[in-house]
Amino acid sequence: MIDPGSVVFLAAVAALFAAAPVAFVRRRAGYTLSLAGSLLVVTAATWALAVGPFTVVSWTGVLGSDVSLRLDALSAFFVLVAGIVWTATSFYSIGYDDEPSAGLAVSYALTLGSIAILITATDWLLFLAAWEAMTLAAYWMILEALGRPSRVYSAAFVFLAFGEASTLLVAVMIAATYSTTGTFAMTAITVAGPLASVIFVAAVVGFGLKMGVAPFHMSEWLPIAHSSAPSNASAVLSSTLTLAGVYGLFRVVTLLPTGPSWWGALLLVIGAVSALLGAIFASVSEHAKGLPAYSTIENNGLILVALGIALVARAQGLPTLATFALYAALFQAFAHAVTKAALFLFAGDVERTMRTYDLTRVRGGLKDADQLASGASVVAALSLAAAPPLAGFVSEWMILESLFQSYQFGQPTLEFIGLLSGAIVALAAGLVLVAMLKFIGFTALWKPTHSAGAVPARGLAAPIAALAGVVVALGVLAPWVLVFVTPTASQLLGTTAIAPIGGLLAIPTGWSIISTTPALSMFGILSPPAISIALAVGALPAIAYYAAGRRRALRRADAWSGGRAPPRTSETYTSFGYSTGMRIMLHSILGTREIRRSAGPLGTISEIRSPETYDVELEVLDVFKSFYDVLVRLVGGTAVALQRAIMPGRVGRYLAYILSMTLIVIVYVAIAFGPR
Amino acid sequence: MTSWIRHSAARGILTSRYPDRAATDEELPEAGRTPTAHPEELARLSDGERSLCPTGAIREQAVDQGRCIRCERCFAFGLRPLGSPAMNVGTREELRESAGLADRRPTSVAPFGTSLHVFMIDVGSCHACNAEVLALGTPYYDLNRLGLFFTNSPRHADVLVVVGVPTPEMVEPLRRTYEAMPGPKAVLAVGACAIDRGIFADGPRTGSSVGEIVPVDLYVAGCPPPPVAILEGVLALAGRGATPEERR
Amino acid sequence: MSPAPFDVARGSAFRPSDRTALAYVSRDGALALYNDYATHRSTLVHEPVLRGEDLEVRARWRGAAPGPRTVSVGGRVQGYGVFTFPYGPVAMGTAEAGAFDLVTYGERILELVPTVGYKDRGIEQAVVGRTVEDAALWVERRAGVFALAHVSAFLAAAEAAAGRSVPERELWRRALAQELQRIQAHLRLLARVADGASQNVGAAQVHALEEELLRAISRCFGHRWGFGALLPAHPSDRLDRNGRTELADRLGRISRGFNGLWETFLTSRTFIDRIQGTGTVPAAESVRWAAVGPTLRASSIAWDDRLRQPSVPYTDLFVPLATEANGDALARVLVRQEEIRASFLMLEQMLERWEGVGAGEVIPSPGIAPSRGIARVEAPNGDLVYDVTIADGRVASLQSRSPSEANWPVMALSLRGAVFTDFVFSLESFGSSFAETDG
Ligand code: SF4
Ligand code: SF4
Repeated sequence: MIDPGSVVFLAAVAALFAAAPVAFVRRRAGYTLSLAGSLLVVTAATWALAVGPFTVVSWTGVLGSDVSLRLDALSAFFVLVAGIVWTATSFYSIGYDDEPSAGLAVSYALTLGSIAILITATDWLLFLAAWEAMTLAAYWMILEALGRPSRVYSAAFVFLAFGEASTLLVAVMIAATYSTTGTFAMTAITVAGPLASVIFVAAVVGFGLKMGVAPFHMSEWLPIAHSSAPSNASAVLSSTLTLAGVYGLFRVVTLLPTGPSWWGALLLVIGAVSALLGAIFASVSEHAKGLPAYSTIENNGLILVALGIALVARAQGLPTLATFALYAALFQAFAHAVTKAALFLFAGDVERTMRTYDLTRVRGGLKDADQLASGASVVAALSLAAAPPLAGFVSEWMILESLFQSYQFGQPTLEFIGLLSGAIVALAAGLVLVAMLKFIGFTALWKPTHSAGAVPARGLAAPIAALAGVVVALGVLAPWVLVFVTPTASQLLGTTAIAPIGGLLAIPTGWSIISTTPALSMFGILSPPAISIALAVGALPAIAYYAAGRRRALRRADAWSGGRAPPRTSETYTSFGYSTGMRIMLHSILGTREIRRSAGPLGTISEIRSPETYDVELEVLDVFKSFYDVLVRLVGGTAVALQRAIMPGRVGRYLAYILSMTLIVIVYVAIAFGPR
Repeated sequence: MTSWIRHSAARGILTSRYPDRAATDEELPEAGRTPTAHPEELARLSDGERSLCPTGAIREQAVDQGRCIRCERCFAFGLRPLGSPAMNVGTREELRESAGLADRRPTSVAPFGTSLHVFMIDVGSCHACNAEVLALGTPYYDLNRLGLFFTNSPRHADVLVVVGVPTPEMVEPLRRTYEAMPGPKAVLAVGACAIDRGIFADGPRTGSSVGEIVPVDLYVAGCPPPPVAILEGVLALAGRGATPEERR
Repeated sequence: MSPAPFDVARGSAFRPSDRTALAYVSRDGALALYNDYATHRSTLVHEPVLRGEDLEVRARWRGAAPGPRTVSVGGRVQGYGVFTFPYGPVAMGTAEAGAFDLVTYGERILELVPTVGYKDRGIEQAVVGRTVEDAALWVERRAGVFALAHVSAFLAAAEAAAGRSVPERELWRRALAQELQRIQAHLRLLARVADGASQNVGAAQVHALEEELLRAISRCFGHRWGFGALLPAHPSDRLDRNGRTELADRLGRISRGFNGLWETFLTSRTFIDRIQGTGTVPAAESVRWAAVGPTLRASSIAWDDRLRQPSVPYTDLFVPLATEANGDALARVLVRQEEIRASFLMLEQMLERWEGVGAGEVIPSPGIAPSRGIARVEAPNGDLVYDVTIADGRVASLQSRSPSEANWPVMALSLRGAVFTDFVFSLESFGSSFAETDG
């Protein structure tokens, strides 16, 4: 019997890929097809989660194993999240008329298609092929960006370099898997001991590279690459490309047996450090897309933290905590992808309206030009800053609550790591608040002191608003969302999971999220619906006040400016100034230094012996980047020689080289570790 | 830290007992008081004697306390300082008639409670008035004990204390500051300069007086007025004014 | 007769060195005063030839045009994220009508541009045609907190112009009054610096001492700020034997109180840490921008009008000279506190020798041209110059250079690189008054 869902999903994949050639001819038609495909993806995924898993299509592969596309609970969850994001980005792209070429629409369609395949593949080889296709399509997408200025090229190469490093590690992981299972199918890996750990670590590093988590964040490939891409591309990259990394890691975790607790501890440490570094760099970023991109590092770090807790808890025999932490990780992945897409789309709106991504220059105009988009971006940013009752608040609470529960680990070292990660994550949460306030403060909330230069945006607001709506709904209806994703959690746990919800006090059962069973006496409880209702009730008097027409009694006065005329734009705080305190305070991490260069000819002023006119710049460095710079210099010499030998500057040969290297590694590992 | 406590303890309580008790001579020196004389005596003065007054404050029946800068020239022909802090405070009309608050209890001009926040603006003073206003924040006067506070922004202020004679450049800032205050609000003009330009009445750059720019509710006479008189002015705005008899 | 306080030169005959600073130049450019910090002599130059840096300095002083003007010390900062933070003219922090533009990229002041002149009441034009008596009422009210220094300088210049001699006792009164007001001004400054550096208890204690001194001044001279005290027609003067005893008593109490407080200040690490190394003015900049008074002395240059340009009674008194080496806010504060002690010492000397003051008359300052006189006084903030012409017993012209006006350029320079939180007390440590600057 053919499952109706499989038809829908097949249609979806067909539409996503068909969008590529169509876009080549007619850009808008291509995006419209992508939109249709995305909607179908959402439908199929919802079907799979609600009704049950189904195989979409299956055939016999080249190596004799069965190759199929299948929407099990895990795939369905990730495809659902990606589909929601794509729906918004595709719709947005139709109206986003600022693209340099048709190539962008084509590569966009290819990226979406390969991610859809990647997530639903049941076979590691297809997975790897889709993974590589996704990397190349995304690379192309970045290349197509903004008329190809040189900086984009270098950003694209950074992206490609890390993408290929990631591919290689994933290949290593697959090869190691093959050596124990003897098949490329995604079957349970039963081997324990060092080989399992090799697989796990290779997966963490390989997929971590895609997620941009520490210590790979310092490559900054994520921010740089994403920042140079057009806004719709950035949203896809930052929300769903990193989501592919998350999916890969989750998939491996479902296949691996329960490992030692250091697996989880490793994730905890990587996650916490990523969260902190991402938050710090986000708060000092002046780029309307760089800032959300750094925030992605932070959020992916949080996902790792939650997954880490789950793994430790599983290893230590704490099923309740493992379940709760897994739910937290899933919810965080969902919330972040949707929210971040909204912010990136809004950043595109900012660029369309103000003609710059530079927050220091984006001053005014937005709020009046596009109220709906501004409001939606405020919702998204507040969610990332964990303001109740939004999605980010619920996920942040769940993650912190999991961290609080780490006292149960029963092993001092693990408990210490849990405690430390908790402190770091809390610190990161505070810094993210600074970053998000800065982002919306200088884009959406800025009270314009001038209105010139603001071009009203054309209908880009609807998808942003829709995503913001999802963010609100996810937050308010969080308990039911958790119930909905229970099949996924069950698959991850390997047993039937029970959503951590309940009721207490006057709140109806099922309305609250509970971190452990009340029987354990130490537990946390949160009821997003109840909070929402309380907030709404609290807002009633204010609404009534305005409704009663008291608004007319308002007297508006100019901003106070020490008795002078209202400040001109040049006399108001820049977003750079807003975070200079952070730059100075964290100078040891950020490597802050002030650079002064003389401006203008010296002769004209030396005559009057005045201090010279100078340009001042407060530069921020990433200490890890310095490490990479050294590495690049070391490798540089070798690379030049290699380049002369095998890469005479032709992209085609370059790609062939990479693919052949990948295959060589797979074959080598398969032989070395293969079943005797 | 402990040594600061020791210093403070060693010095004991310095704070004035005004307004619960009458102001002492130390708090209200002669120069802070109002020179005046009986109307008959004033009427007897010759025009030559009157014109000795640099501000033309000596009128037929009364001394215009709002104009007087306490130069004491008129002491040579019999005028003498009189009064209490309350004598320095009044509407423009009252000061012109040398009446002050001597025999009336002013009602609060705005619906204030008993606690007020005060913002001071200088529109062209010699700095002495600023110093006397700010002295209210020092231990000897300590206005916080009366529920009165200085604030750093007009946005938080109930009372605007204006000192100095408005120069052309300060007219707009004064207006803006008044605009920036939320209602209900009141204005207290402190010092001869702020009342009617004081010595600067015929200066080249001091053509307008504060009352022409923003509505002034109450004035405090003096050049500069002693801190207790300024305190009395703020209290009067808060509806806590009293006659000199009641301050005894 | 006191010795002539300055040499006289004409035009290009005068050769300034790099230790020479312009102290005053008349608006028509006919007259200039130079201080030489190497020889400790001052030279009055007729028809001066001003050097480039002198023109620079003069451009920062009050020119002919009334109203606000910025005191920029050259250089312009630009760069990513740099913006201007406007402060004042209405701000409780300055408590006066004056403004600053802080050029910054956040947190740190890259460039500070004061705007002065908001309070320009046109006093110098207004007094023309008035009698010296009437004009003095205006001069006193130029900067009420420094009224006694201003009126002393004005009267001395007017007397020099008119060739009128003054009883020696009168000059002693002026000096006594000035020293009292110097202590009061210095106490006020210390209190405000302490307040700016969040030393609230200490600040309150110093403010209390200041109030006690104001009361002492009021007791002697009939006015808390000494308005009218030095004018001939002023009737109240309580410097008789009883009055002097009372004054000595009060001063003793204040002086003891101050000594105790100051020790505590010096042992307060939080206070010293904040003011040490902030707002530094190197000696060379002090000379180059013609800084005066405690600011100059704090950067190790030993110039005090009471010593270098002495008039009766400073010629007869022991005048301790306070200097410090570092030129930072701490150094300025230390100079001021040493001067407080010095002034107490001088007051003691004056009160002791009051009875024996001679009955002779002196002309306080030499005339420099027919009916024109210049007088210099060490005001609390430093060298104050009045240049007065008298015709028919009335003021024909009045020009001046106040210490506050002279110190803005070094203040603006010294705050480059400071963080916002240092701004207020660094500013206060210079003690510059907008009222005194603007006139
Ligand atoms: S004190 Fe001076 S200003 Fe006042 S009335 Fe007498 S003469 Fe006039
Ligand atoms: S009223 Fe007198 S003390 Fe007050 S500012 Fe005017 S001149 Fe100065």
